[in-house]
Amino acid sequence: MNDTMEVQSALAPGSYFFTGNEAAAEGAIAAGCRYYAGYPITPSSEIMERMAQRLKEVDGVFMQMEDEIASICSVVGASWSGSKAMTATSGPGFSLMQEALGYGVFTETPLVLVDIQRAGPCTGQATKVGSGDLMQAKWGSHGDYQIIALSPWSVQEMYDQTIEAFNLSEQYRVPVFVMADEAVGHLRERMDISPLVQTRNRYKKSGAAPFGTEENDGVPPMPSFGEGESITVTGSTHNEFGVRKTDDPAVHERLVGRINNKILNHRENIIQSEAYSLDDAEVIVVAYGFTARSAFFAVDQLRKSGKKVGLLRLKTIWPFADGLINRIGKLGKKLFVPEMNSGQVYGEIRKYAGCEVIPYHQTNGRIIHPKDIIAHIERII
Amino acid sequence: MSNVKQVRLIGFGGQGVVLAGTILAHSAIKDGRWVAGSSAYGAQARGGTARYDVIVAEDPIKFPHMISTDILIAFSQKAYEESLGQLSKEKALVIYDDLLVKPGTLPGVIQTGVPATDRAIKDLNNKQAANMVMLAAAAVLTGLTSQASLVRALEENSAPRFLEINRKALALGQDIGLNLKKI
Amino acid sequence: MARDLDAYLRQEVKSTPFCPGCGHGILMNIILRAIADMELDMKNILFVSGIGCAAWIPSPHFNGDTLHTLHGRAIAFATGAKMANPKLKVIVISGDGDLTSIGGNHLIHAARRNTNLTVICANNMIYGMTGGQVASTSPLGTITATTGEGNPYRPFDLCRLVLGAGAEYAARFSVTQPLVLMAAIKKALGMEDFTFIEALSPCPTQFGRRNKADSSVQMLKALMQDCITREQAKGMDKDLLKTKIITGEFHHE
Repeated sequence: MNDTMEVQSALAPGSYFFTGNEAAAEGAIAAGCRYYAGYPITPSSEIMERMAQRLKEVDGVFMQMEDEIASICSVVGASWSGSKAMTATSGPGFSLMQEALGYGVFTETPLVLVDIQRAGPCTGQATKVGSGDLMQAKWGSHGDYQIIALSPWSVQEMYDQTIEAFNLSEQYRVPVFVMADEAVGHLRERMDISPLVQTRNRYKKSGAAPFGTEENDGVPPMPSFGEGESITVTGSTHNEFGVRKTDDPAVHERLVGRINNKILNHRENIIQSEAYSLDDAEVIVVAYGFTARSAFFAVDQLRKSGKKVGLLRLKTIWPFADGLINRIGKLGKKLFVPEMNSGQVYGEIRKYAGCEVIPYHQTNGRIIHPKDIIAHIERII
Repeated sequence: MSNVKQVRLIGFGGQGVVLAGTILAHSAIKDGRWVAGSSAYGAQARGGTARYDVIVAEDPIKFPHMISTDILIAFSQKAYEESLGQLSKEKALVIYDDLLVKPGTLPGVIQTGVPATDRAIKDLNNKQAANMVMLAAAAVLTGLTSQASLVRALEENSAPRFLEINRKALALGQDIGLNLKKI
Repeated sequence: MARDLDAYLRQEVKSTPFCPGCGHGILMNIILRAIADMELDMKNILFVSGIGCAAWIPSPHFNGDTLHTLHGRAIAFATGAKMANPKLKVIVISGDGDLTSIGGNHLIHAARRNTNLTVICANNMIYGMTGGQVASTSPLGTITATTGEGNPYRPFDLCRLVLGAGAEYAARFSVTQPLVLMAAIKKALGMEDFTFIEALSPCPTQFGRRNKADSSVQMLKALMQDCITREQAKGMDKDLLKTKIITGEFHHE
């Protein structure tokens, strides 16, 4: 098993005033990211601009590639060369990256992708907010697979979750997405940096099979290029040593099963959430990302006026918190789900809640304002 | 200071509104407060109204955008007029540049004119420094942040060639603020 | 493959997957022989390939690190691997469709950056693995699965393409010219620049049978006749020259 270790924070401890995008870059540096490749795209470009500067300071490598496809492919290459590696993008770039993300999943390559979601589909409103990439994060590449996707609601969490994303990607050998939205990416807030950062090292075991394991967690050790291990990596179906097996049904089934189960079997350890005032709540708002900030404020206001309202905030979107939603649903309350998309997470909640779930969709490129949440809850309570 | 103050700095492009807001935010963080800030972000990056909203609070901030303006700091007539509709219903405070804004009557709102541009020209021979004069005066009038933190925040955020003039402007603004407070 | 190159091959992999008469086996031999001649340490070499017949030349056969990637993206993966660990010798081996059509953008940008990679393009002038469709390298008039009446478009001149994009060194030779091809590969591997080798490799299965060269022997003979040196090209009749392939080394001017 790979171990966590505490390292000195890259920035001096203290309070800073950062944008979410800057915080994501700082989180990456703190987590040990030493390779970044990207392509300019609104509203995520500030991440690559800061990485260009910061990686120089820590002897890392920054590459502005010719497109998003090259960016994510080079990140996979760098990861196999032993670097913790990252890219950041927004909707159109995320679409271009999907095939290579599937490659990352199938070859069990640790990498981090920060998606600063904007108002789609297509070019949409490039500078405006949305959170319409969540289903794409889960299902964007072909075939059956699992990834991990986090959802930050503050500048502090852009930093914390980017570090967490690197740690999870090393622990489970899987691409991890920080599914932020434009409102968090461009938000400026106080952010506190503590002296020590928890990081996770890549698990190595000389001579061990890099694509198969008998261990319970299903995550094999990962060697790097240049270590004399004669690694063979392929996006085709492969046995535990990486050798192509393109017509053996048992090998395919075992590999697809393992890359899914290594995430699904650990979802209780991976999934994080926060609950506010749930105990006596008649309506529970389930929210994530910037919308959870609006909901947090709305719930606070409604409580002040005597309304029994609570908030469940999803910090992890994928794997989905099915068990948690099922438990919350059994409380017999109404769930209210505000989202800056057409109900992408609402659909998942409805699958598992077993109680009344009321969606609130907004796809106009604007944040969902607390007053709109308050008005809707007053109508249903 | 009450728990949460929502501050809007607004003027026209080129007046240094965003820098003033940024320094206010950094300064309040140095005081140990919680701060959120946001400016308009769009495809057109230049021209027109410049605005920077800063929320200063004693505790972590729930909603980081402005709901209503508790303190309006207006650098132009147009900006002033545009912003009145968002003023908080209770205890709103308006601080304006008295050379550039002719205030209207606003029942229940305390309005204070600050001779920021006027004194920046007369005392410092530098119209551009009016933003820092205004910021320091507003800090005294509102208790948003301390002068010591403002100076430290300036040192970390000002281009070196403007540091000296901006330091003087903050000192001038503090004087103006203290005098206005006595009245 | 010859016994003396055994050490360069992954032992658990028994045979190559290439069709009878395919030039890729010869190219495989030439590449490994160049590496053996130069006494390069396989432990320090990363072979990156895309998707297609030629992408199987190194993966999984070569006994170094091999990265078999996505269609068209080998150079992008290789760039990341090389930049993250500059001590690696990184060799990209893939086909013409992979490197110059779907992956054309990565090819020219790696050349522009002068990224320290050697790209060996096995050019069979057709999409072999998918059933013989026209490629960006198929000569004018070539009959393919998607150009029944002959390819209406001109092919890329790959060496001129990468030199135009900034490559320091490019060479074009056929697998029927093994010694000069091997010399060119050795030269490229000895440089610390972006270097490009276009290795013409016959595909009797998909190209030959549609274009009046059914047998491997016929295809090899045709290739030997068509490949001329730059000196031989000088003063050659224009119409005749159009049917020829000019081989040789090309340097950045």
